[in-house]
Amino acid sequence: MKMPFSLPFSLPFVLFGLLWSSLAQAQPLQYVLDPERSWVQFEVLHFNTSTIRGRIGPVNGSVLLDAAAGSGDVRLAVRTATVSTGLGFFDARLRQDDLLASEAFPEAYFVATRFTFIQGRVATLRGEFTWRGVSQPLQLTALRYACRLDDSTALPAEVCGGDFEGEVLRSEYGASFGLPLVGNRVRLLVQVEGRRPIPAPRVKTP
Amino acid sequence: MKKFVLAPALAALAVAAASLASFCSAHAQTATYTLDPTHTFVTWEALHFGTSTSRGRFDKKEGKVEIDRAAKTGKVDITIDMASITTGVAPFDNHLKGKDFFDVTTHPTARFQASGFSFDGTKVSAVQGTLTMLGKTQPVELQASRFNCYDNPFFKREVCGGDFEVTIQRSQWGSTSGLPAIPDSIRLLVQVEAIKQ
Repeated sequence: MKMPFSLPFSLPFVLFGLLWSSLAQAQPLQYVLDPERSWVQFEVLHFNTSTIRGRIGPVNGSVLLDAAAGSGDVRLAVRTATVSTGLGFFDARLRQDDLLASEAFPEAYFVATRFTFIQGRVATLRGEFTWRGVSQPLQLTALRYACRLDDSTALPAEVCGGDFEGEVLRSEYGASFGLPLVGNRVRLLVQVEGRRPIPAPRVKTP
Repeated sequence: MKKFVLAPALAALAVAAASLASFCSAHAQTATYTLDPTHTFVTWEALHFGTSTSRGRFDKKEGKVEIDRAAKTGKVDITIDMASITTGVAPFDNHLKGKDFFDVTTHPTARFQASGFSFDGTKVSAVQGTLTMLGKTQPVELQASRFNCYDNPFFKREVCGGDFEVTIQRSQWGSTSGLPAIPDSIRLLVQVEAIKQ
């Protein structure tokens, strides 16, 4: 007599449990970018001899990731006037209309909606990069990616981040000044870390 | 007939000129180059909690380089102003300049001196020398990931330079603060260009 009773009671419970867990897994998690750990470094070859590097940032934006579903939505923006190469006059030259065009187009941004994950870790992001008002497809590839628990503050958080690499041809965005003495290929190295507060406080053992 | 007499004389003169030229060049191969500070930077990379790479740069430096591409020898002496460190995050810069890390009031400069040059053909492939930092001198070898010389149209002079890198263990210079969360391994990426004097 136990079976007929247990079945109708347990089946909805199991179904609900399955549904709940799949909903929980399909929930995109939102990360808030850490401005101290979210920067773009660019590299461009000078006279085929040495690499010019510069920093732009911090990176602003929103990050939604759903590792279980293999999806995400990442919107990143940088103010190009923040460029820093270590040379004030060079930074000022880079901001002009024929290069970064920081006045006419203050922000460069990247919107990625196509993701690949490898073992739960972000591997690639594909989307559109807009710079100088020109949009082109861009893929960022993870050189490393990791998540960790940060319980060093009163608000414990999961911190995920990594190093991402991409490449643009600046001529495709109309930034052709100095070609070919200064290279067309611009390598982008993006450092990014995002925090997600963990709701339940962790119980610390003394 | 005079033409035929002149020809060997000219040939002899040409040989003499050529040997004189090679004599001169053999003794004039050591060229001195002054650092082009606008194309010379040290960028460092440190892994942050195994997650992402933090980068910083030293903006002020000076020095000179001697290279003899025929004899495959050279010398380099570069001094870096440690207070010129910049990461984009002012509180981070101040922490790095403080006692926990570079202690720039006590040790305002770092110095790279080298006289060991390896060549691959006429291109510098590695430079062996010492890095003096935090009052300690340790051997380091910079590997060239590229090297080239070219005629710079602005300076109207030859410029030689390249990209060099080395990974150091900062604890060798007594920098142990934050280990192991802040790693011991620090990668240095050196862009360098120098103008022939």
